[in-house]
Amino acid sequence: MKHESVETNAGLLIILTLAVISVGGLVEIVPLFYIDDTIEEVDGVRPYTPLEQRGRDIFVREGCYTCHSQMVRPFRDEMLRYGHYSLAAESMYDHPFQWGSKRTGPDLARVGGKYSNEWHVQHLIDPRSLLPESIMPGYPWLATTPLDYSDIAARMRALKRVGVPYSITEEEYESNVEKFGEQHARMFDINNAEEMLIEQAQEENFDGDSSFISEMDALVAYLQVLGTMVDFSEYDDGHFAEFR
Amino acid sequence: MAAAWEWITDLGNSKMFALVLFMSTFIGIVIYLFAKPTRAKKFETYRYIPLEEDDSHLEPTARRDKTESEKQ
Amino acid sequence: MSQAATTAGSVPATSVASTEQYNYAIVKRFAIAAVLWGVFGMAAGVWIASQLAFPFLNFDIAQITFGRFRPVHTTAVIFGFGGNALFATSYYVVQRTCQTRLYGDSLASFTFYGWNLALILGVITYTMGITQGREYAEFNWQIDIIILVVWVAYFWIYLQTLLRRNQPHIYVANWFFMSFILATALLHIFNNLEVPVGIFHTDSYPLFSGVQDAMRQWWYGHNAVGFFLTAAFLGMMYYFVPKQAGRPIYSYKLSIIHFWALVFLYMWVGAHHLHWTALPDWVSTLAATFSILLLLPSWGGMINGIMTLSGAWDKLRTDPIMLFLITALSFYGMSTFEGPMMSLKSVNALSHYTDWTVGHVHSGALGWVAMITFGSLYHLIPRLWGVNLYSLKLVYVHFFLATIGIVLYITAMWVAGIGQGLMLRAFDQYGNLAYTFTESVVFLHRPYVVRAIGGGFFLAGMLIMAWNIAMTVRMGIKSEAREREEARAAEARTA
Repeated sequence: MKHESVETNAGLLIILTLAVISVGGLVEIVPLFYIDDTIEEVDGVRPYTPLEQRGRDIFVREGCYTCHSQMVRPFRDEMLRYGHYSLAAESMYDHPFQWGSKRTGPDLARVGGKYSNEWHVQHLIDPRSLLPESIMPGYPWLATTPLDYSDIAARMRALKRVGVPYSITEEEYESNVEKFGEQHARMFDINNAEEMLIEQAQEENFDGDSSFISEMDALVAYLQVLGTMVDFSEYDDGHFAEFR
Repeated sequence: MAAAWEWITDLGNSKMFALVLFMSTFIGIVIYLFAKPTRAKKFETYRYIPLEEDDSHLEPTARRDKTESEKQ
Repeated sequence: MSQAATTAGSVPATSVASTEQYNYAIVKRFAIAAVLWGVFGMAAGVWIASQLAFPFLNFDIAQITFGRFRPVHTTAVIFGFGGNALFATSYYVVQRTCQTRLYGDSLASFTFYGWNLALILGVITYTMGITQGREYAEFNWQIDIIILVVWVAYFWIYLQTLLRRNQPHIYVANWFFMSFILATALLHIFNNLEVPVGIFHTDSYPLFSGVQDAMRQWWYGHNAVGFFLTAAFLGMMYYFVPKQAGRPIYSYKLSIIHFWALVFLYMWVGAHHLHWTALPDWVSTLAATFSILLLLPSWGGMINGIMTLSGAWDKLRTDPIMLFLITALSFYGMSTFEGPMMSLKSVNALSHYTDWTVGHVHSGALGWVAMITFGSLYHLIPRLWGVNLYSLKLVYVHFFLATIGIVLYITAMWVAGIGQGLMLRAFDQYGNLAYTFTESVVFLHRPYVVRAIGGGFFLAGMLIMAWNIAMTVRMGIKSEAREREEARAAEARTA
């Protein structure tokens, strides 16, 4: 083909450009969907409960990802500071992923269980009351704003549509019981989403104020589950290396 | 065809595939551009396209001059 | 030249020729919008930079906290300042190099209102906490649809104008603009595949999760840099550098080679934002390889631009607009060298997650994108209004403020990024971590202050530009009014 016809033919220029720019994306992205090794096989990773998912929505809403990553890299300093490096499987129910691109604050991939609920609440309301050097903004409104969970079922239905195994039918529920245990499967039932959210918030009362369910309840519930799903003591040291 | 597709989608070969694809296209373009002297020369005439346009109506005084000329 | 086919009488006869042959009205609107968004977006940038240096500036007010305001800054500068400038220049360049009028006046107006409406909605919704949480694509799904419609209209206008050209060859600047339009459409659509919570709900959940979502996002993220902030601005460069220099581009063959190499290579490199993450190694190795290769076409563009001036270097001494354009190309060369270096896995292990990345982005964004835009707008705006620039001296002032700002900014970020990276990986003699994370935050304070000051310099330059442009436009409007007056008088006399 003559290049001249490319320069003088707008349609041809468009088609060729499209072809050329598509190659890179296709070769790199498409295989990620069908290569089994991309996501490790590991026990424990489960979808978020309704309350945790609402907490995750708040995490996204406040733009926490602009300063905090959720991706521990396989380096010695990061292992010492944060814990075991992150697995692809650990974010398989994360819509959207929140790996982040900048650590103005520390990585949060394994922050769950590291601090008490009280610490998180105090730290979110006024970070400098606990860490005078912190440059994190305060989020006092989270503790005073009631959590809007009226749309939780709609949210879970949307998430189900993109592949998170929340259940609607009896069959789906049973399969969740098998996969995640009955206690969790109850939480993943869209038909009872609102009750389950309230139940978890009241039982665990993350913000220490049981008079109402606040956005703080949801966010702390989410932070406390981060990185805690996989029990790494069950796996040999080299187990995950083969997937890299 | 199926075998070729398998080779292409096998990840062990993707780097090789990309390299071959890129290099051959690149070399093709370079040969195309430089092989024929007349063609090469023709390309360089295109450099002048932005300078060939009529800019007179964009000059700061253009409008005033036109008004002047219209008066006469 | 075209004969004015207007109804005589009501419409003044002057300047009809120019308004009829080319659609400059749309270019004017986009150019002014670019300046306004530039002021706003850079002010937002200085604001969030100050928040990092002095966290009390968050004031515990949800709408202005860093997390919500950072997308305001990135959206306003990339899509507001950069986007409007690209619309303005691409609409101008395609008309001038094809020697034909822009297709579809009202459709072009639609792209102006649609684009800016989407941006304003975006800025408002971010402060309300409505976001997708995808960097540089935070717009929620309804705004995404507005953008998509505008973009299809943009593509259609551009294509139809190319098809109506009176010049057989499609000048290379248009190739770059076209590839930018196509790639951005592809990126925007694919990165925003999502399922809304409800038809009247503002939230949605992305179609993919975890590792696939990460790959998709950074394929988008880096190609937004590659096509929105590089290819398109190269299109700008290929027109305005030769025009301002009064000399043709150095080598047309080089422009063809580096065009195809650039558009091919860019799409491969996004995964270098995900080195050492849970993304499979083969992808990030591939991305690193292509990132190194990318240096060649990038420098091809730089050389082509800078060598255009060869033999006329004295222009740099007399022409501040040329100074902007050439400095932009130098920063382009520098940051396209820094980029491949940072994509090496060993360097990336240190630089990733630190301010080095932020500094790198800004040496490209301020040094290349903003500088080439300033130069192009200084060239373009006086011509659109048919007057000389209000003050060339102020252009010099702007240039030096901008350059000082950039230098302060990137050196502060080098210190911050490399310093923090080294601190976080330091061990004491017993093999324990030498520093806590908090200690590295304390270290960052001073570089953050310097960065905010650097940003302040750059913003000051932008404000001076806005003033200079405002005065230029005022002169233009005045002289137009005077011409109309004179024309009416002349008409009265002949009648």
